Amino acid sequence: MISQAVIKHKKKRRTNWRIWAIFLPGFLFVTAFTFYPMIKMFVMSFFDWKIGFQQVSTFVGLRNYIDVLSDPTAHIAIENTLVYAVVTVPVQMILGLFVAVLVNGIRKYSVSFRLAYYLPVITSWVVVALLFRYIFATSGLLNYFLVDTIKLISEPIGWLSTRWAALCAIMLLGIWKGIGWNMIVFLAALQAVPKDQYEASDIDGASRIQKFFYITLPNIKGTTLFILVMLTIGAFNTYTPVAVLTAGNPAHQTEVVLTWMYFQTFSALNFGYSAALSIIITALIVIATIIVFGLSAKKKVTHYGK
Amino acid sequence: MANRKRSSNRPIQRKRRIDYMMGIRYVLLILGFTIVVIPMFYMVISSLKDNATTFLYPPKLFPAIEDITFMNYTYIIENVNFFRYLLNTVFVSLTTVVISGIFSTLLAFSFARLKIPGKNILFGFVISIMLIPGLAMLIPQFELASKLGLINKIWGVILFYSAWVIPFSTFLLKGYIIDNIPYELDESIYVDGGNEFSVYFHIIIPMASPAIAAVSILNFLFPFEELGWSQAILKSDNIRTMPVAITMFFQAHNRTDWGFVFAMTTLAMVPVVLFYLLLQKYFVSGLTSGSIKG
Repeated sequence: MISQAVIKHKKKRRTNWRIWAIFLPGFLFVTAFTFYPMIKMFVMSFFDWKIGFQQVSTFVGLRNYIDVLSDPTAHIAIENTLVYAVVTVPVQMILGLFVAVLVNGIRKYSVSFRLAYYLPVITSWVVVALLFRYIFATSGLLNYFLVDTIKLISEPIGWLSTRWAALCAIMLLGIWKGIGWNMIVFLAALQAVPKDQYEASDIDGASRIQKFFYITLPNIKGTTLFILVMLTIGAFNTYTPVAVLTAGNPAHQTEVVLTWMYFQTFSALNFGYSAALSIIITALIVIATIIVFGLSAKKKVTHYGK
Repeated sequence: MANRKRSSNRPIQRKRRIDYMMGIRYVLLILGFTIVVIPMFYMVISSLKDNATTFLYPPKLFPAIEDITFMNYTYIIENVNFFRYLLNTVFVSLTTVVISGIFSTLLAFSFARLKIPGKNILFGFVISIMLIPGLAMLIPQFELASKLGLINKIWGVILFYSAWVIPFSTFLLKGYIIDNIPYELDESIYVDGGNEFSVYFHIIIPMASPAIAAVSILNFLFPFEELGWSQAILKSDNIRTMPVAITMFFQAHNRTDWGFVFAMTTLAMVPVVLFYLLLQKYFVSGLTSGSIKG
């Protein structure tokens, strides 16, 4: 095979100083600004960390972790983050794929629709979060629509004043902003599906639904996995929408992990606690990613296994 | 119409069904379009009302012509350092694009082509950074920034942003190099007596330019988005980037002057939308170059 020949040739070029000169600058840069802080953070999570002049950090073992795990607000923050991930990731993907299939099936105005659906994606989080704060206000546009226009409810909902209503607002924002990204990526994948497979299934008399499940979905599996991983990481990375929309209020009920960590760092100055929380969220992301890859690997076996 | 022509030799029943489906698609798309666009439209409309009107109930999606005012925009341009913030953000974006572009092309080239001991493990390290939220390393990064004298310096965001975006850029570029640039091209340079530097400059950079353009666009927009770190680092008003400036303005105005706030956010959107319209096709290739092959 060609690739084997290539590998053989590649092996011929020895490691030399030029290779290090190409590799090391970038690697050292990343090391300095991310690896080093990461290791430092791990160390910090075992200390009562002080940053003041002449203050001494003392080793406290696992106490920071115990503090985090026994802190009801940390529980709420972790729970909110998980709920956000579990709800927004699949909903965004399904809606994004649905819109992509629709846009892929039309002949006119598809560029205009793509543009419109992508608009929230390119708009900054700060901007859309402020906008939703205004729309979801008790006397805002949404309540007006629900109470006075379609008369679905009789009393306005205090969207941003209770935990679950506020989380709904935050998740709706996340979904609303994310659909366009999902659509664009899925659309590119849909357009790469070989046309002859659809033509062959036409001859066999396959229905639209059958074509979707037996041709489209298997063909866009790589893209689906890519989106799933990116969105899962993104969901755990949520900071700005919560910081702007609710700032964790009421009474820290709507905190997610990163906003709670930000508060512990800059307002409460509990550095060791924040470091332990960071390690916990990182562990959660790693576990989530492994689960996602595990699920998709299993599917791959069942699909290509024969 | 194209679709008539294609189905002309099929039974009439079939043709009707296709047109019917087409109708449903448009109806659903327009419905979604309305939901997606109404908030954005409402933002622009609210920026054209004076601050008191933005509190009136019922809220009006289509206000009377005489209620429309451009006063908010005048206020923002005259009283807020808007163009300063825009310039800061563009400066941060451009420098981040250049720094991360240089490092990530070099890294991607190394991982895709060069013989480095323990390459797979090192690549795994770099990729694993993608899993960790930038903000999760807040404290040690803040300490590092303070040691390097980067607190309240615009370089304090540039250097960290560059480091944060390098892993994903490297991942996309490495995939592109492996999939789209044949190794024979590298070889032709080596045969002619060239070395790794000449391969980098004469093969990798020119041949990977579509992917480089794509990651540059993604990285360019990052400073227009990021809030947590920039808020921690950029304390002085004259070095703030747009997200910090908008947040600070909102807080300074008692979280109530919605007319002003939306005039500022609408203005802030203009350059981003123009940027998107100009470079639309690269957006798509950038998002998808890493995914299709997946």
